[in-house]
Amino acid sequence: MSARVSLGVDTEELASCVSCGLCLPHCPTFRVTGEEWASPRGRISAMREVQDHGAAVDDAFLASMDSCVQCRGCEPACPSGVPFGSMMEATQASLASRRRIDWRRWGFRVLGHRWLLNLVSRVLAVVQRLRLVPSKRLGLPKIPLVQDRLRASGDDVWLFTGCVMDAWQRSTHAGVKRVVESAGVGVALPGAGAGCCGALSLHAGLENHARALAIRTMGALEGSAPILVDSAGCGAALKEYGKHLGTSEAVAFSERVKDVHEWLAAQADRLPPVGKRHQEVTVAVHDPCHLRHVQRVHQPVADVLSRYATVVALDDDGLCCGAGGAYAAMQPDLAASIRKRKLEAIRRSGADIVASANPGCTIHLANAGVTVCHPLEIVDEAIHDDR
Amino acid sequence: MKFRKADPLMQDLRRVLPSDRVRAAPLERSIMGRDASIFEGGRAGPVCFPISTEEVQGCVDAARRHGRAVVPRGAGTGLAGGAVPLEEPVVVVTTKMNQLVSVDADQRVAWVQPGMINLDLSRALAPHGLHFAPDPSSQQVCSLGGNVGTNAGGPHCLAHGVTSAHVLAVEVVLMSGEAMVLGNPNGWTPGLDLRGAYVGSEGMMGITTAIAVRLTPDPPAVQTLLLAFDSVDAAAQTVSAVIANGIVPAAIEMMDNNIIRAVEEFVGAGFPTDAAAVVIVEVDGLPGGVAEEADRVMEMATARGGSVRRAADDQERALLWKGRKSAFGAIARIKPNYYLHDTVVPRTRLAEVMNRVYEIVEEHELQVMNVFHAGDGNLHPMLLFDRREPGIMPRVHAAGAAIIEASLAVGGVLSGEHGIGMEKRDFMPLMFSEADLDAQARLRRAFDPEEMANPGKVLPTGASCADVNALDKVPEGVWG
Repeated sequence: MSARVSLGVDTEELASCVSCGLCLPHCPTFRVTGEEWASPRGRISAMREVQDHGAAVDDAFLASMDSCVQCRGCEPACPSGVPFGSMMEATQASLASRRRIDWRRWGFRVLGHRWLLNLVSRVLAVVQRLRLVPSKRLGLPKIPLVQDRLRASGDDVWLFTGCVMDAWQRSTHAGVKRVVESAGVGVALPGAGAGCCGALSLHAGLENHARALAIRTMGALEGSAPILVDSAGCGAALKEYGKHLGTSEAVAFSERVKDVHEWLAAQADRLPPVGKRHQEVTVAVHDPCHLRHVQRVHQPVADVLSRYATVVALDDDGLCCGAGGAYAAMQPDLAASIRKRKLEAIRRSGADIVASANPGCTIHLANAGVTVCHPLEIVDEAIHDDR
Repeated sequence: MKFRKADPLMQDLRRVLPSDRVRAAPLERSIMGRDASIFEGGRAGPVCFPISTEEVQGCVDAARRHGRAVVPRGAGTGLAGGAVPLEEPVVVVTTKMNQLVSVDADQRVAWVQPGMINLDLSRALAPHGLHFAPDPSSQQVCSLGGNVGTNAGGPHCLAHGVTSAHVLAVEVVLMSGEAMVLGNPNGWTPGLDLRGAYVGSEGMMGITTAIAVRLTPDPPAVQTLLLAFDSVDAAAQTVSAVIANGIVPAAIEMMDNNIIRAVEEFVGAGFPTDAAAVVIVEVDGLPGGVAEEADRVMEMATARGGSVRRAADDQERALLWKGRKSAFGAIARIKPNYYLHDTVVPRTRLAEVMNRVYEIVEEHELQVMNVFHAGDGNLHPMLLFDRREPGIMPRVHAAGAAIIEASLAVGGVLSGEHGIGMEKRDFMPLMFSEADLDAQARLRRAFDPEEMANPGKVLPTGASCADVNALDKVPEGVWG
């Protein structure tokens, strides 16, 4: 037996699970495997085996931890309020320092440098068109060759643009920006300093890198204007800066962060009506985990969208779609099984298109042939359909 | 014990199942060493995930050839330690056998696989206007095979009966490897009711591989009432009065002040945190009858000083039930561990036994919360503790034993619905005579002569040879 290893998981947090199992059906990996090691309760037992009972950090342990999507669907389901996300982040941080070779370590560094990410994206866009990369297997969307530059229109609110979404889906930002402007406010855009929120690094256990990105992002979004975020994963990360950095400045910053739908729902009376030539569509809303389970503000998406489209809910209790940031690329088999459940729920809903407020989910679902767009792209089209 | 690739048992199991569905990594065997009960320290041998009856037969055959016991496991939400593997048995997990095989909506029968989740079944049946009546608090996760194993109950079993009343037939793999169907999905079979003997046998007679369940029509109307009282006595008297007046609500659930506060923090359903006890009463049936019964229940509550609230819509109903059904987990907000009891007492003695429970916990310097099926007198006192506190476990067990003795003393029984498992095994002689236990042991051996199915559970060791000094037979480490 190896020497006792601390995973750095808070002992009170680790003791807080009573093993009741109510989390199990809310865990996407348990749902598709039926296996305890792939459930929140099993993962907590595994952490206890290592941290409290001196079990080895072996392949079985790594498989249990790395198979977690970190969707945090178990947290709202837990009557005991076990902070599973925080325990998993601590575990991943201690594992990251033990892994000898980890492509994520340098891979995620690219995200923090906008010029480098743009360069990599252009190269990817070209080789994609030459059919030199298996995009679907890698979970990549079709990356645009050229993108229009976004221009600021005022300083009432910030629109956080992020990394991959800005490099690959800037047209979504443009649509979101038009909708926000239609409520009568001017939108400010951050510079390259707010190039990445650091969520993917944090989930991979690269805490120091995540912290550096957080400090840089805070510096690029100064003042007191609300910070609107149109990516659920980034929004969740920005809202947790206060918790992770623990400074009063970070707490104040996090309080300014709003999911863009959350903000729009509060200004609903300022939103314009549907355009004259708009034909109504039926939209199934897919709740991104980090909007539903972490930020817990998924309702405003349906509230805003239902003014412009017929909204149908999915009947799968908001179970994850399997995208999980880089998860779909790291665990393609599990991600595909999880997505299969989601596709069945989408089919049952009978909707024409799916709306998802997170770029990862959009890419992952679109790769399975579903028509997916950002909820505010649908709103943008509905408002401006008389152009 | 280590399982190497060349281990003959593993080799045999891998002839039956693909290698990714037979596993023996040390970590997995530890994780599978426990369920939702307080027992720690069990350890699985090889862990198998069959997907068909034939594969279950293959696992059982392999185990038998190597003289290894077999423990079936569903979702692992049992509270009595029934799925805790002792002495490294082959663990057969049914979670991958989770299909709804067939539904006959006209005959109101469905065949399901044992790993199907209880709530998933009712959801799948919703388009037919039918549901599966037993609804344990863990219904969103517990498996139907586990429900059969423990003869599970639930809030709505007051009017509709527990699992046994809703299982028409079971397909079982015996420890001989033979598969057979007990009972008859189309009605009663003449002769011995082997189905009735099997339901509630806690994995000690064989492994359930398919279940024919009786389906219940959704009630046309439902009303849910929340009654709040200043004293546990007034709440208990109201419960007795409702039943004595000939009303059998679909459910009558009671929660005491400690649990109300813990649950309200989680669900925010508006439970009155200053009430000594609340009672949730649900009446269902035809709209006219439901309205009248609800009015009468409310009158009876008001007459005993209670305040009443009627859930306005389905959303409010769902929230009240969410509060009730998450009670067990919510207590971890107060202490990290709990020991949940499951005794049943005559309804008329409810208040008396509850007061005795409060005294017992005070004597042992513990905390208790009560949330239970008041309509049928099924108490669920939960002792709260932190197992890291030195010297706490003997106090917890002493208080538990005193609660059981107090319940039996007024004519109660050991378990209402959670089963005996390991938890109540050593209390069996308090309730049953040697002759009773011997008869039970012989019934079990009629199905499983070698006692290889889930050994060490329910029946005290040597139940048939009058050696009931079993406490020291519990493997070391099990009592945390």
